[in-house]
Amino acid sequence: MSVLQGLRRRLQLVFGARAADRDLDDEIRLHLELETEKNIRAGMSADEAWRLARIAFGGVDVTKEAHRDGRGTRWFEDLASDARFALRVLRRSPALTLAAVITLALGVGANTAIFSAVNAVILRPLPFHQPDRLVMLWESNPEFHWDQQDVAPANMLDWREQVHAFSDVAAYMDGDATGTLTGQGAPRLLSVAGVSGNFFSVLGVHPEVGRALRDAETWKNGSRVMVISDHLWREQFAADPGVVGRTIMVNGKEAQVVGVMPRAFRFPSETIDAWMPLALDPASRGDISFRRAHWMRAIARLAPGVSLERANAQLQTVVRRLQVQYPETNRVMGAGMTPLHAFLVRDARRPLVTLLAAVALLLLIACANVGNLLLVRAAGRERETAMRLALGAGRTRLVRQALTESVVLSLIGGAAGFAIGWWGTRVLIALQPPGMLPAGEVRMDWAVLGYVVAITTLSGMLFGVAPAAWSARRTPAEVLKEGGRSGSDARRMRRWGQALVIGEVAIALLLSVGAGLLVRTFYELTQVNPGFDARGVLTVALGASGPRYDSDEKVQAFYADVLRRVRALPGVTDAAATAELPLTDWGWTSQFSVAGRAPGEYGNEVAHREVTPGYFRTMRVPVIRGRAFTEQDAAKAPRVVLINEALARQFFAGQDPIGQRVAFDKSPDSTSVWRTIVGVVGDERQTSLGTETKIQFMTPFAQEARQEMTLVIRTPGDPATLAPAVRRIVSAVDPGLAIASVRTMADVRSASLARQRFLMMMLLVFAGVGIALAVVGVYGVMAQYARGRSREMGIRLALGAQRVQVRWLVVRRGMWLVGAGLAAGIGVALAATRFMQAFLFDVTPVDPVTFVAVPLLLLLTAAAATWLPALRASRADPVATLREE
Amino acid sequence: MTPSPAPPPPPAPSADVLRGTLDLLVLKTLTLEPMHGWGISQRIQQFSRGVLDVNQGSLYPALQRLELKGWISAEWRTTENNRRARYYRLTAQGRRALGAETETWRRYVSAVEWILATG
Repeated sequence: MSVLQGLRRRLQLVFGARAADRDLDDEIRLHLELETEKNIRAGMSADEAWRLARIAFGGVDVTKEAHRDGRGTRWFEDLASDARFALRVLRRSPALTLAAVITLALGVGANTAIFSAVNAVILRPLPFHQPDRLVMLWESNPEFHWDQQDVAPANMLDWREQVHAFSDVAAYMDGDATGTLTGQGAPRLLSVAGVSGNFFSVLGVHPEVGRALRDAETWKNGSRVMVISDHLWREQFAADPGVVGRTIMVNGKEAQVVGVMPRAFRFPSETIDAWMPLALDPASRGDISFRRAHWMRAIARLAPGVSLERANAQLQTVVRRLQVQYPETNRVMGAGMTPLHAFLVRDARRPLVTLLAAVALLLLIACANVGNLLLVRAAGRERETAMRLALGAGRTRLVRQALTESVVLSLIGGAAGFAIGWWGTRVLIALQPPGMLPAGEVRMDWAVLGYVVAITTLSGMLFGVAPAAWSARRTPAEVLKEGGRSGSDARRMRRWGQALVIGEVAIALLLSVGAGLLVRTFYELTQVNPGFDARGVLTVALGASGPRYDSDEKVQAFYADVLRRVRALPGVTDAAATAELPLTDWGWTSQFSVAGRAPGEYGNEVAHREVTPGYFRTMRVPVIRGRAFTEQDAAKAPRVVLINEALARQFFAGQDPIGQRVAFDKSPDSTSVWRTIVGVVGDERQTSLGTETKIQFMTPFAQEARQEMTLVIRTPGDPATLAPAVRRIVSAVDPGLAIASVRTMADVRSASLARQRFLMMMLLVFAGVGIALAVVGVYGVMAQYARGRSREMGIRLALGAQRVQVRWLVVRRGMWLVGAGLAAGIGVALAATRFMQAFLFDVTPVDPVTFVAVPLLLLLTAAAATWLPALRASRADPVATLREE
Repeated sequence: MTPSPAPPPPPAPSADVLRGTLDLLVLKTLTLEPMHGWGISQRIQQFSRGVLDVNQGSLYPALQRLELKGWISAEWRTTENNRRARYYRLTAQGRRALGAETETWRRYVSAVEWILATG
């Protein structure tokens, strides 16, 4: 109880320091009065009484000091008064304060925005139960150049049974599968993931309504169930808990909703709508295709206490066993595991870390600028500092005060930066290539706040060191004696400022070279010939699935009907369909052999695509030899294929491929289908402009039907205008079909460059800000320099020097500074840009064009920054300059 | 008849000893009734029969120390002459502390006495 009272008193003293001081004054006064009265009663005169009372009391001020020291709040009061003083000082020079705050805010803001993205993607743990115990299993194959690829179901099941280090293994289908929801209003295309029954239990997530899937449901068992996402539940079913147990129509077949997953669970994709069991056929368990086709992703949960190494060792043992047991499929098939989080972020990690490094460099430039500003001001306050030193202020107190000023400034800048950062995350999410950042997760949370506080404090200390050290150095006598403006110490300060600026220019150059390399890369990418003409083409992705399309003929009839009607539209010059669009994906792959070649001479990893006749004409892909497909290449006609140039070069060099026969097996037997090559077509970039064309076979859609095809429609005008008409046609042919996407080919091409564009834009922005800050820094330092030599220049002018010569003095100095900065920057850049290799295309990390153009650009901008102070210096009136002192 | 001035005060003991004993004396003084600063100094002077007449000013830091420890508490009141004064009062914990401190003092004194007596 009494301890509390003591604490309460302490708090009172902390917050009511001035009131406590006044109280003490009152107490002491009363004491002296009473003592005086006592003395008067004893017979002394009033004055004598008072004097003796004072003597008896002792030193009043000493008492007050002792009292104040005894509070234990001294340091706090000092800090508070330092902070108040700092605010007053900052208010006195509003221009400088504003400049410093803006500079800091830009640096801190950029860092905040990027860090919140890094936090969301790389740092925050996955929202699963004990996520660090989850690993992604993958398969590799040196012959196919496969690494970290999809898994074959038979292999996954064997691992699950035989690797005891895994407590369980779940699987899901890789890729975006869709299903059409009908019977609930307009047909809606759903993003569906095919998963194993134990998917949710392995990840350790629980539904918010209903149940998750059961292990047995991995296998086909007659009933179709599904689990839906929270987002679909709210949008389509108005969050009605009665949806559990309801049967809905997906792809024309019935499926029963058994549960709803919570909102935070958005795996494997951000926009997932529903999860359905893979419904593997137990009868096909022993089929070779079960072990040959790789299309699953497998996630394993490590058993408690098992280390990654031990689990991997066990996995490798099983892999080796399978290699021997199933030589036809598994002979060289390897496997491995990666911690799940690392695997999922592998694409985003590098660019994000690069951006983080870039903004950190930007912050350094900002700190250098602010440091310079404060240094200039510290030099300007030399007299004040000297006076205070002379009057007895402790040096530590002065240094502490200078540091407090820096900290206060950095707090204000940091708060402004936090606001900018918040705005910046909005911008990041809006501009990002889809899927790179989990939009819902990029937000300002405690981790981001902590980061902001940390970098703000660090920045404050960084740029606070210079002015603080400055205040501590000077002796009062020197300062009060000399003018304060010239002198060896002022020169030293200018040198510090110049050193800072050299550093700034170097960093700005580094950022700009990075941005420049990305710009060159982007340009090179846009110059790549994709192999087709993207202008004027509309693409419409459709999926003819469900009971209406249970045979190849029905699927082919559907697309034939749609294409016929589309071709009849006014403005359409050509229309066709393809299984995959170029610049998206290369479809399925296989091995192949050519008739007449030695056995054992087969090709690996050839891509396949099914197209309708007219595809090459529509997309303007040249037919190099032979012919393209025609209507004659129908279902019952002899099997034909087309090859692309890459395949011709690799496998038919020096021969004529036309007429040769191929089979899509590595060792064809009596069941293999032989197809005749009838033509060679030009290469198209299948996945991205930066990836080499893969060897590819094209087969006629009439001979190999696929349910999901994309229409390509050519028109001389703007292809986007055709979209409504095409939608009408599709819904006229089948009202229950939802269209997957409608995009112009130009948009597809642009989307394929989305990542590079994003990175380039970000780095350009940061480099731009960095250059701007560095230029401001150069200007400031040169202005200082010109001021420092103003007397000398006044003398020179008075002695007859030309204004040009005086200007040259300043410009020469400026150029020297900038040159030094550029040289240092180029040196660092030459060594550092090799880390950007992964982002570059057709451009070396030491690309000469970039390394010449960028420094030149910076030189010119910095030269402009030097010119103005030089001009002003030369314009000054020599008489006035010499007169002022 | 001019009254003679008060006799000069005896030399004060060292600061550390002073601080500890001052706290003890203040606590003892307050066992009787709450008092303000001047009253405490008068009482100490009175009871020590003029031997202890330390700088009255050093009383106030001592009072603050005791207040922060929670051994005394303070409140503003008006005196008989209608003046505003800060009255200090012993708390329960202070009363207990007084006992302990007195014990410690007595042991200290007897130890010093013993050292001085022998050798």
